[in-house]
Amino acid sequence: MYVEIPLERPDLFDDVLRACSTREPLGAYATNERLNYLFVDGGAVCNLCAARDGADAGESVARSVPLFDWHEREMRDTHGVELTGLPVSRALFVRDGVVPPALTAEGEGVTIIVVGPVHAGIIEPGRFTFSSGGETVVHLDGQLSYSRRGVEAFLEGCDAFAAAPQMARVCGACSVARSWAYARAIETLAGVACDERTEWARLIFAELERIYNHVFDLGSTAAGAGYGYGQTQGLAIKERVHRVCAAAGGHRFLFDAIVPGGVRIGALDAAGALRSDVAKLRSATAEFLDALFGARSVVGRFEGAGRVPRETARAFGAVGPARRASGAAIDMRAVLPYGAYRKLPPEVFSETAGDVAARCRIKRAEIGASFELIDRALAEFGTLPPPPPQRFAAARGRITTVTEGARGAESVSVECDARGHLTRVHIISASYRNWPLVLRAMEGNIVPDFPLVNKSFNLCYACADR
Amino acid sequence: MSNSFTHSLGIRHLVCGSCNGCEHEMNALTNPFYDITRDGWDVVASPRHADVISVTGPMSAAMREAAQRTLAAAPAPCLVLAVGDCAAGEGPWAGAPDAGRGAGIELGAAVVVRGCPPTPDAIRQGLREASLLIGRAAPRADPADEPLPEELPAR
Ligand code: SF4
Repeated sequence: MYVEIPLERPDLFDDVLRACSTREPLGAYATNERLNYLFVDGGAVCNLCAARDGADAGESVARSVPLFDWHEREMRDTHGVELTGLPVSRALFVRDGVVPPALTAEGEGVTIIVVGPVHAGIIEPGRFTFSSGGETVVHLDGQLSYSRRGVEAFLEGCDAFAAAPQMARVCGACSVARSWAYARAIETLAGVACDERTEWARLIFAELERIYNHVFDLGSTAAGAGYGYGQTQGLAIKERVHRVCAAAGGHRFLFDAIVPGGVRIGALDAAGALRSDVAKLRSATAEFLDALFGARSVVGRFEGAGRVPRETARAFGAVGPARRASGAAIDMRAVLPYGAYRKLPPEVFSETAGDVAARCRIKRAEIGASFELIDRALAEFGTLPPPPPQRFAAARGRITTVTEGARGAESVSVECDARGHLTRVHIISASYRNWPLVLRAMEGNIVPDFPLVNKSFNLCYACADR
Repeated sequence: MSNSFTHSLGIRHLVCGSCNGCEHEMNALTNPFYDITRDGWDVVASPRHADVISVTGPMSAAMREAAQRTLAAAPAPCLVLAVGDCAAGEGPWAGAPDAGRGAGIELGAAVVVRGCPPTPDAIRQGLREASLLIGRAAPRADPADEPLPEELPAR
C-alpha cells in the first residue's frame, strides 16, 4: 500500500520531524515539483510531500535526524533544493572532476590514511579516509559516487516496460530485490495482480539472491579474519548457488528473472530438478556454516568488532541484517508484506550485540530460513511452470514500493505519465541507507579490522551511487 | 629463466562504473571451481605488477582520471581486457549522462569479452587470448573442454 499525505510546505518539516519519532523513515527525494519524505506506517508506505513553490527555504530534517543527511544533500545536488541548517554542507557526489574534501580529525598524534578510489582487490571504487590515533580509528570518512552513471536521469522519458532490464542492472547483487520492487510499482499503478505460481517463483528468486549474498558476506568476513577455509568454501558454495540460479531463472544473477507482469519465460520449467539441486545445496551450505561458526578463533575475532548500538542504528537509519543485529526486528517482508510473503511470512531474527558476530549470526539464521522458504514455496508451486508475463498498459501515477533485499529495504519510487513513460525514478538502496553506519562502526576499532567490519556489512556501491 | 615465466599473468582489476555483476564473475575466477592460479594467473594488488588490466563498466565520469592513472602506472607490456557489455560500450548504461563510451573502448582494450556479465569461462577465454597476445604461452587446457565437477548444475 502507498499513501500520499500532501502538506503545505511550511508544515512539511514539522510533520516530518514528528513522524520520525513514531514511524520508520525510508528516506527522501525531490522532483522538480515536489519534496517527498517517505515512511513506513502501519503496513503502508506513506509519503509526506509538499509542492515546491519557487524558493525552497525549509529546515533540514537531517539536523535532528541524521539518517536524512545523504538524502537532503542529494536533493540539493540533483534538484537544487536549498534547506537551511544542513549538518554537512559538502557535495555528496564527485562531479566534474571535483572530489569533495574528506572530513578528518585533528590533533596531536592523529595520522591520516587515504585508500581508494581504486582498491587492491576486485571490489567497487570508493575513497576511505581514516583518521587514526596509533592503530585506533578516531574517524572514518567515506566518499562514494565513483560508480555513478546517472541512472535516474537516464531513465526519465523511458517506456516503463523498456526500462525493466536497466532496473535489473542498476546493481548486480540486489538485482532481484530491485526488479521485484519495480515490477510491483508498475503493476500496482495499473491495477494488475500476478497469479500464484508467478508469486512463488518471485519468492524463490529473491531468497536465492539472499542466500548467495549472505554466503558471500560470511565468506568475505571470514577472509577479513584471515580464515582461508571460510573464504574458499564460501566462494565455492556461492558458485553453486549461481548455478542453481541459472537453472531456475535463466541467469547466474537472476537478471531479468522478474519483469513487470510476471517472470522470465522458461523460468522454473524444471521444478523437480530444482528441488534436488536445492536440497544438495542446502546440506553443503549447512556443513560450511557449521564449520565456520565452529572455528572459535575466527568467531572470537568477530566478537566485539564493529559494534553498532541500537540507538546509533536507528538514528543513522540502518536496514536489513545490520539493523536486526542491533536490536530491531524490522524486515520489509513482514512489515510491508508483498507477493507470496503474505501467505508465507518469513521468520524475522534479531540480536542485540550489534557487532560483527551478531551480523554474522543473523545472516546464518537467515540462510536457513531462506532455504526453508524455498522448500515450502517449491512445494506450493507444483510442477507447472508459471505463465508468460501478462501484457498490460502502464498507467499514470506515482508510487513507492519496497522489498527486502539481502542488505535490507530496497525502495523504488516511480512516477509515470499517461503514455506509460517514466517521468521520475528514484532508488533508495539498502546500501545507501547503511553506508553512513559502516563509517560509524569503525570508530574505536583498529585500522586492520576494516576488512572484517566492512565485510560484515558487505554493501554495494553501484546502487548507492547510481 | 624467461621460459619459466611463460605461463604467468598478473591481472589488475579496475572498476569504472560497473554494476558489480562483472566483479562477481571476476571474483568467481578465484573460486575453487575456476581457480585461475592453476593457469599461472593471479589477481595482483597493484598496477605495477600487472600484465593485464581488466576493466568493467561504461566508464563513469568520476573514475576516468583514476582509471587513466592506474593504466599509466602499469609497466609495458601491459594490455587492457574489457570485461562485459558495459566495458564494450554497449551495455545498459551506454548514453547515460555520467557514463562514457565504455571503459574498454576509452582505455584501448586489446581483447573484449562480451556478456552481461560474461561467464567465468568466457572471461578465462579472454584472459587466454590476452596471454597469447602478450607473448605468453596459453594455459594448457581450453576451459570449454573441461568437464564440470560432479554434482553441480550446468554452468
Ligand atoms: S556488463 Fe552487465 S553485469 Fe557487467 S557491469 Fe555492465 S550491466 Fe553489470
